[in-house]
Amino acid sequence: MIRRRFPWVSYLVVVTGAVLTVVPFLDMVMTSFKGAGEAGTLPYRFLPDAFDLSNYRAAIDQLDLPVLFRNSVIATAVITASVLVTSSLAGYALAKLRFPGRDFIFRLVLSTMMFPPFLFFIPHFLILVHWPLAGGNDLFGRGGAGLTVSIAALAMPFLVNGFGIFLMRQFMVSIPDEVLEAARIDGAGEFGVWWRIVLPQTRPVVLTLGLLTFVHAWNEYIWALLISTANPDVMTLPVGIQFLQDFVDPTRTMPIVMAGLVLSILPVLILFLLLQKYYIRGVMLSGLK
Amino acid sequence: MVNTLTPATTERAAPSTRSAGPVVDGRARVRRRQAVVAYLFLAPTLLFFAVFLILPLGFALLLSMSRWAGFDLGGIQPVGTDNFASLFADGSTFLAPILTNTLLFALGTVVLALAGSVVVATCIDNLRFQGLWRTLYFLPIVTTVVAVGNVWKFMYEPGGLVNGVLNTLGLGSVAFLQDPDTALPSVVVVHAWGSVGSAVLVLTAGLKSIPESYYEAAALDGAGPVAVFWKITLPLLRPSLLLVCITQFISGLQSFALITVMTKGGPGDATNVAALEMYRQAFLYGQWGPASAAAFVLFVVVLVVTLAQLWIFRRKEEDV
Repeated sequence: MIRRRFPWVSYLVVVTGAVLTVVPFLDMVMTSFKGAGEAGTLPYRFLPDAFDLSNYRAAIDQLDLPVLFRNSVIATAVITASVLVTSSLAGYALAKLRFPGRDFIFRLVLSTMMFPPFLFFIPHFLILVHWPLAGGNDLFGRGGAGLTVSIAALAMPFLVNGFGIFLMRQFMVSIPDEVLEAARIDGAGEFGVWWRIVLPQTRPVVLTLGLLTFVHAWNEYIWALLISTANPDVMTLPVGIQFLQDFVDPTRTMPIVMAGLVLSILPVLILFLLLQKYYIRGVMLSGLK
Repeated sequence: MVNTLTPATTERAAPSTRSAGPVVDGRARVRRRQAVVAYLFLAPTLLFFAVFLILPLGFALLLSMSRWAGFDLGGIQPVGTDNFASLFADGSTFLAPILTNTLLFALGTVVLALAGSVVVATCIDNLRFQGLWRTLYFLPIVTTVVAVGNVWKFMYEPGGLVNGVLNTLGLGSVAFLQDPDTALPSVVVVHAWGSVGSAVLVLTAGLKSIPESYYEAAALDGAGPVAVFWKITLPLLRPSLLLVCITQFISGLQSFALITVMTKGGPGDATNVAALEMYRQAFLYGQWGPASAAAFVLFVVVLVVTLAQLWIFRRKEEDV
């Protein structure tokens, strides 16, 4: 085959590209083991003198890592669970139920994907500030800080995802109506049909959407930064590590920051390696990340 | 939580209504019940859209035409299009360098990521262990921007990896992020580096859909690999290339998290982009009005690109 005529050229290109991709990660790991005065000095050296674990210790101590980890886990778990449940319910309604206004709602869902996130930073923040009866607010949202100081604020703008609904709906359309009808004749209500028939059939899509949502939520930075500036108690891992640079011993800033980064990307990396098939399909279905 | 419970109650209520009434009404009743259930299933979503989509859009539009600082809703003063006018007034930094930077950032990313991913994707297509390669190329995509930004920021330092390589080659160190001339291209390289993985994925899928028979026919005609690439691969890859091109361009126009982490828009305004400017105006200086106006201008730019994308793809479908 003509495409296979110069395999060595292909290998050269692909391996070079892979090295360029992986080297920054290796540099991160290597730097995380470097001692005081060893990183960022001339001449540059790739390998550390000794594999010193004290930077990890320092990152964990300085960062209050358990709290950051807890906040990241709670926000990510709530977002992922909510996106999966709402996408699946709404997707089922839009794919398999007849009701007035269905086309309009489907178009609304599609149009939500068109609005860029930056358009919402200011109004979302102001809505959460004025959230009624939260954070010292009265019924009309006056007098307090609203939800901006609570961990709920990390998750709220991300609880429903238009792309998720679209994805579930497209997949559910292909489930044969006869299967659902049979279940209904057997006496199942719509909730039962959704729970017992539709959900088990959509497991691969649920995994794909769940993984995609998890990775996005875990890595989210700008919104979490906004919320944690108002209240450091709800800081997430990415934000905490960015702030870390201001606190640590300046001769060891980079090694400690890199140690923190390694710890923060580890959960996503492990999950991705285990379930990459589903993640990759998600990226293909969404066009691009 | 609420959304899983409410439909369950309708399910329980359903059998009691089923037995009553003549059979003729049955179908209408089933349809009506289905509509009620559908709206229950959609209730959390619609509530969310009302509070976090429609209300914010109206709010943002109102703010873009108001003067308002602080949080007291009573203090909002309508000022018409003043905020927009001042964005484009003489001496404003919004058009240049900020909007110019935004376009250069998006354009630079697209060119680099596209060139890189076309080369890599065509080559990967020839190899074994495609899954392994794709996984490696995917690492930047699953990594937080804080990690990507900090590692590269460190690599650009005088004692970092990039300058280390330059020094080994006998070249002097470059102050990549501190020099206004090199700062923007340096961040563009990082953003492109992070986007290649997903572009490779879309392009490999596009390559797989090209029928093998085209290549066999070309081989019979004695076409060389370069001719095959230009005459067969590239033209047939056009839909995937367009998709990558436009989605990357849109995400490039919007991105600022990487810049926030790496340069905070500096030195000066050398790497400042529209979304970052909006963010700074709003959350550093409390200027809700001008910030919202900037957000809408950027939104219009993104919208134009999105509509162009829809138009190009529709035309593409008509071609087929």
